Amino acid sequence: MRALIAIVLLAAVFAGCADAAADGDSVRVIVNAKNPTAKVSKQFVADAFLKKRTRWSGDSPIQPVDLGQKHSVRAKFSRSILDRDVSAVRRYWAQLVFSGRGVPPPEVTDEDAVIAYVAKNAGAIGYVSASATLSGVKAVPIE
Amino acid sequence: MRWLMVALTLSALVTNARADELTPEESAIQIHGFVSQGALLTSDNNFLANTERGSFEFSEGAITITKQLDSKLRVGFQLFARDLGPLGNYSAKFDWFNLDYHWRDWLGVRAGRVKIPWGLYNDSADVDAAHAVVLLPQSIYSIANRDFLLAQTGVEIYGYRRIGALGALDYRAFAGTVYLQLPATPAVMYSNEDVPYIVGTRVAWETPAPGLRVVGSVYGAELSADAVQPGVPFTLHPVQQSKGVMASLEYTADALVVAAEYSRGHSEVTVPLPGMPPSVSAVTAEGGYLMASYRLAPWIQPAMYYSFSYPNVGNRDGSAQHSHDSAASLRFDITPNWILKIEGHAVRGTAGVTEAMNPDGRSNRWYLLAAKTTVYF
Repeated sequence: MRALIAIVLLAAVFAGCADAAADGDSVRVIVNAKNPTAKVSKQFVADAFLKKRTRWSGDSPIQPVDLGQKHSVRAKFSRSILDRDVSAVRRYWAQLVFSGRGVPPPEVTDEDAVIAYVAKNAGAIGYVSASATLSGVKAVPIE
Repeated sequence: MRWLMVALTLSALVTNARADELTPEESAIQIHGFVSQGALLTSDNNFLANTERGSFEFSEGAITITKQLDSKLRVGFQLFARDLGPLGNYSAKFDWFNLDYHWRDWLGVRAGRVKIPWGLYNDSADVDAAHAVVLLPQSIYSIANRDFLLAQTGVEIYGYRRIGALGALDYRAFAGTVYLQLPATPAVMYSNEDVPYIVGTRVAWETPAPGLRVVGSVYGAELSADAVQPGVPFTLHPVQQSKGVMASLEYTADALVVAAEYSRGHSEVTVPLPGMPPSVSAVTAEGGYLMASYRLAPWIQPAMYYSFSYPNVGNRDGSAQHSHDSAASLRFDITPNWILKIEGHAVRGTAGVTEAMNPDGRSNRWYLLAAKTTVYF
């Protein structure tokens, strides 16, 4: 029994190390090319993806788009911007969905779909890896 | 009123409202749901069901349909059914249904049947996927009182506002009524139950300290009914005034969540009597808990809590006048849509253990084993 507990704890520690390593890879936040926003704060991006903030400064709606829950860039984004892992975000949305207080952002399957979504919708905001090729969107630095 | 709101909700769902500000993905009808099956076993005392011999009468299911009509207006409802011992019997009910106009981040309005904001978790108390434990601390979130405490039919004003370096405020205020049927007992039968009003507010302060939330909740309500008692030759008309306050703290640091809540409620029942002064009785109850959970890995999350309740602070003697519940729980996320929880409780006191389900008496010290599995999407 003691050995089982030690294995579980070690697995959890290594999982944490893996997450920390992932945090070192950068994630770029992207918006529509016509969006006048030049930079955003981490708090703004987190609020937008948790839908605590729903409007750009010009009052147009913010349209966040997420990657699928198993996508590695989603995991990095959740850890580095939302300060919680994907499963915690999933629980956050379960609370809101089943209590009638909100619905999560739409999810798409890959980074190309995120870029296409943001390029098509003026109020959209998404995130991709640093190596993704951008077209019709612009990356906004996080203050 | 209830069916009027349902009709409004359904008609809005099929109406081609202005959706020019929405992407096709945002304007699509969203369907979510969950199905749960649990089991309860107690060493002594029947708790919630006939648990001394073990009970599977611990089932829940819900389906939620939501549609965003434009960037500010959303409509939706949730149908919920459960079986919990003598409660529910799989009778489907509208858990909530409302129109939600989110005018600004700092001001929105929901009208219809809306979950009651009370403490940290009341409005998500029946969302098994959102919690680490099978049974939330019963001193605050009594599962047996769910039909009364969960939602009100009326209006709610809500908002979220950042306050610079001080963090953010998440606030909700509501006013409405509750439809309920009081259970009949051998001592009294109720009819014409009426809740003329229930009002309250909850303010959550997201402090500048990362992960720390401080929450205050208050409510007031009135309940009246006709009551027939054996041997009383006339119908009584008791009126109950209730009010309550709750203070809550929640601290989240990475995979660790620590929550503590304390509530105090006061009820006064006035019964007018013909030719005599009215009978007035009052009682103050208190309860609270300290709970901690830690997600060791995405698939496993242990949790534990200590919860206490005193249904009448003026009389703390006797096992029925208190409950001290120490619980330990394990949650397994088997897949992203399937969870399993196992939980043990060591309880001292029988507050919350009904006499009706334990006609042969109640044991002061008892143990509860609970398990529950939920699939949700």
